[in-house]
Amino acid sequence: SCIIEERSFLRCEDLVYGRMSFKGFNPEIEKLMIQMNSKCKEEKIEEDDKMEADVSDEEMARRYETLVGTIGKKFLRKRDQRVLKNDDEDEDDEVEEGNSNPRPSKRAKKMFLKPQD
Amino acid sequence: MAAERGTAAEALVGQVVLPGDLLLLPAHYDEDAEGERLRLSGGTAPQGRLLCGPGLRRSGAGLLVTKCGLLRHRPGGGGAYWVDSQQKRYVPVKGDHVIGIVTAKAGDVFRLDVGGSEPASLSYLAFEGATKRNRPNVQVGDLIYGQFVVANKDMEPEMVCIDSSGKSSGMGIIGQDGFLFKVSLGLIRKLLAPKCEIIQELSQLYPFELVLGMNGRIWVKAKTVQQTLIIVNILEACEYMTAEQRKQALAKLSGN
Repeated sequence: SCIIEERSFLRCEDLVYGRMSFKGFNPEIEKLMIQMNSKCKEEKIEEDDKMEADVSDEEMARRYETLVGTIGKKFLRKRDQRVLKNDDEDEDDEVEEGNSNPRPSKRAKKMFLKPQD
Repeated sequence: MAAERGTAAEALVGQVVLPGDLLLLPAHYDEDAEGERLRLSGGTAPQGRLLCGPGLRRSGAGLLVTKCGLLRHRPGGGGAYWVDSQQKRYVPVKGDHVIGIVTAKAGDVFRLDVGGSEPASLSYLAFEGATKRNRPNVQVGDLIYGQFVVANKDMEPEMVCIDSSGKSSGMGIIGQDGFLFKVSLGLIRKLLAPKCEIIQELSQLYPFELVLGMNGRIWVKAKTVQQTLIIVNILEACEYMTAEQRKQALAKLSGN
């Protein structure tokens, strides 16, 4: 079972915000008071009122599906990219990161060479 | 060690408890170690997450009381027990909003006196819209309303004047004029309760502005010095007045 130890009164009791203004003395703080105190009570209602999105969720999902592949290709090694190029029809001559393997080397990985004594 | 027989926590809610009392919790909080057995009987079994508030400490089977006061209970959200005690000295607690007085500027950091054992530190970047070029205009002796971001007994407390989303939401430098005074911590909690009669009655009197810090400090500002002092006197005295005495005092004032 979980018993959580808490040293703050804020979590136990329901305290209001400490800054207050009355009868219009400080209009900004009065606005803040309404905002803060309604935040506590109406948290759930705020979450439902999301702004209407320009792009629907389905479109976003579809776009991201293809986006992952496109960006993923950028980071492939040269060899694998050549393989991919043969499969795909569009040829992106993208320069991949860091890999400066000379063409004639057929080694896929650089193996660790033991020092020759 | 002789084990004391504790009493059930529910029986003591609203009564005075003394340090050393052991409170026993209902059986469904004690199941552990072997794994959580799901209670199919359902009913009123809460989620099992009990909040053990200030004045209480976990000890074995139940809760050990460490401060004297009234035991309070909140049934919602898994349940919470705490001891409503009275004290004047503030101990910094993370997340509390307090009023601090700037005592020194040490390079990029301000030292604030919050009434605790150590001065708290406040970085100049912890204000809304502050950058390295755009520093906040804070002088020694200013009042600052902020919250603690680090407050434990091993480290110096640190404060910030912005919340987690980067907005100041009312925190920061408290303006000019006004009057700062100190009351006990219990009164502050009473004033901050959701529907506090004292605050409601005072708000009918005149327009004024009020900032309550959890460290026992209150800052009041009204249009004239006399009104400010009247509010200060009422707030200081209302701790020991009954409701009728308070209403009489306020009636006299609004009559004047």
